[in-house]
Amino acid sequence: MNVLKYIEMLRKDMKMLKKVLIAYLIILVIYDVIIHIGKHGHYYVDNIPAFWTLFGIAGCFILIKVAKGIAHTFLGKNEDYYG
Amino acid sequence: MDKWLHPAIFYFIGSLLLPFIRNEKAKKVFILLIPILSIIDVAFMQVGVYGKFSFLNTTLIFGRVDKLSLIFAWVFVIMAFLGALYALHVKEDGHHVAGSFYIGSSLGAVFAGDYFTLFIFWEIMAFSSVFLVWYRKEQRSIDAGYRYLLVHVFGGLLFFTGMMLYYYKTGNLLFERILPINAGLPEYLILAGFCLNAAVIPLHAWLPDAYPEATVEGAVLMCAFTTKTAVYVLLRGFPGFEILAIFGTAMTVYGVFYAVIENDMRRVLAYHIVSQVGYMVAGIGIGTELALNGACSHAFAHILYKALLFMGTGAVLYMTGTAKLSKLGGLYKYMPLTMIFYIVGAVSISGFPLFSGFVSKSMIVAAAHHEGRITLMLLMNLAGIGTFLSVGLKVTYFAFFSKEEAPIKAKEPPKNMLWAMGLTSALCFIIGVYPQSLYQLLPYHNEYNPFTPPHVSEMLQILSFTGLIFFLLVKKLAPEDKMNLDVDYFYRKGARIFMWIDEKVISVVDAFWGELYRTFGLKLLFKNADISYGFDRIAIDGVVDGSAKGVRGLGGLAKFLQGGRIQSYIGLSILILILIMGFVIYGK
Repeated sequence: MNVLKYIEMLRKDMKMLKKVLIAYLIILVIYDVIIHIGKHGHYYVDNIPAFWTLFGIAGCFILIKVAKGIAHTFLGKNEDYYG
Repeated sequence: MDKWLHPAIFYFIGSLLLPFIRNEKAKKVFILLIPILSIIDVAFMQVGVYGKFSFLNTTLIFGRVDKLSLIFAWVFVIMAFLGALYALHVKEDGHHVAGSFYIGSSLGAVFAGDYFTLFIFWEIMAFSSVFLVWYRKEQRSIDAGYRYLLVHVFGGLLFFTGMMLYYYKTGNLLFERILPINAGLPEYLILAGFCLNAAVIPLHAWLPDAYPEATVEGAVLMCAFTTKTAVYVLLRGFPGFEILAIFGTAMTVYGVFYAVIENDMRRVLAYHIVSQVGYMVAGIGIGTELALNGACSHAFAHILYKALLFMGTGAVLYMTGTAKLSKLGGLYKYMPLTMIFYIVGAVSISGFPLFSGFVSKSMIVAAAHHEGRITLMLLMNLAGIGTFLSVGLKVTYFAFFSKEEAPIKAKEPPKNMLWAMGLTSALCFIIGVYPQSLYQLLPYHNEYNPFTPPHVSEMLQILSFTGLIFFLLVKKLAPEDKMNLDVDYFYRKGARIFMWIDEKVISVVDAFWGELYRTFGLKLLFKNADISYGFDRIAIDGVVDGSAKGVRGLGGLAKFLQGGRIQSYIGLSILILILIMGFVIYGK
């Protein structure tokens, strides 16, 4: 299977993959800064360069922490909780 | 146009003929033929009102065909074909029959132009879909199916009460757009009934309770029809209701919150139905043309990619016997095609550019943005983060990777499943790269273009940095062998209290009087036969023992009546339906 070969190839070279992905993230932020030059929108979400980068990082972090926190304190029960 | 054939007819008649076909191959052809005929039927359908006749001082309309009902009919018949292809290997006729009735009644609900017709189809949907849960044939599924049915009967009663009060108020049962200023108790009762089917919180718990317990093939159908029929009726009747905008947005976040902590793959997806339907409900609540178009297109796209996701996880469940992430891993070596199709579904739901979610979900987010509802917009984007985090990354990673060697070895699923997944993936991709194919079906004028640089940049940033945080915190997200409480806690525990009263109080009273009767009653009987006989008959048995027995007997009678009612109910509704269908075909 060809697909399998590619996946195995990527898994073998994780360091390279990481570098490529980090470069991609940086390019993404730079691109967003560029498209903000000379533009002015109605709302603050439109006017802060790389706003969605910050939103993505903060949102994802908070979501994981809050959800897992609540699951560990009182929502999580054993599988046979209802009998 | 004077000729119109209700597409539901293919499903109702087809499902009645199906058990008589003995040949395996002919049966498979027949199962696929039903949706193909209905697709042709919908393709040639012209806008207009058909199948109209008087019944008990009111007008019943079976065929309101306009752009809004057509877009839902389109996606329903397409989905019916994909679902039939996916379920082609299922041997039980009953499963196909239940599926067909379910799809047929959804189409009936979409074309219904009055509340009464809608109600009939609404109920057939609930009563036929529950069999798709019961056919799993496990105790958990049977229990979940009963809860599903009870909740839907409750929702049906809300709708029915609202409908009756509405008739009393207005003198007709026409199902038209309701303006928020005109809405009183009847309208809000109908709205509550609709919201229950749309899984609007806090009326949503039936969905993540029942869908993960349904059959592999049944869940694929169920995720498409019940909630989306509800979205359709909300779009038709209640656009611009502010309460929907708020609850819808709350749903988007609520669903992903649970999806992040769930262990069962199909329950993760079920919570994502709550979340994704939340976008549609919010769009309906915002109520601008862009938002309503967004709700329509998102329903269309959602049916396809959610079915694809349920097909992928269903294939894993079918081949490995479990959907629990804590027991899976490393499957990419054994089920690479399933994995690819699943990932197509996952990137579609997450809204990656070039896949279907990107062109549909963003319409609703953009509508919130246009209206200056920035809080709603931010919450929807937060839900977008959670969507990619749980469906895109968590499930993909923990089911297909995470472990070097798979704990459960498996093969690719049967060919028909792979074909169904492949075709659905292709549709998700086509809608993503050529959104006009979807936009041309929309009910309102549409100028929205999703491929603007700020929007592409916005989505890519949100999704990519979610990916970054996922890989930094991946250990925190490891699935745990737990279940999570939801609001069904209240009725599942509530029922337990009721059962406790029945078991402890009534049984104890019953046993106590039995004992009393044996020790005192019998002794008295021996000593003073005549007196005690009279006393026993009148006092102990009649008043006390009899009353406890009477209560238990009443419970038994109620059980019997309910059991009997379900069958006769289905039977009666089907009979009425066939009669009415006959009128529609031959009477017009």
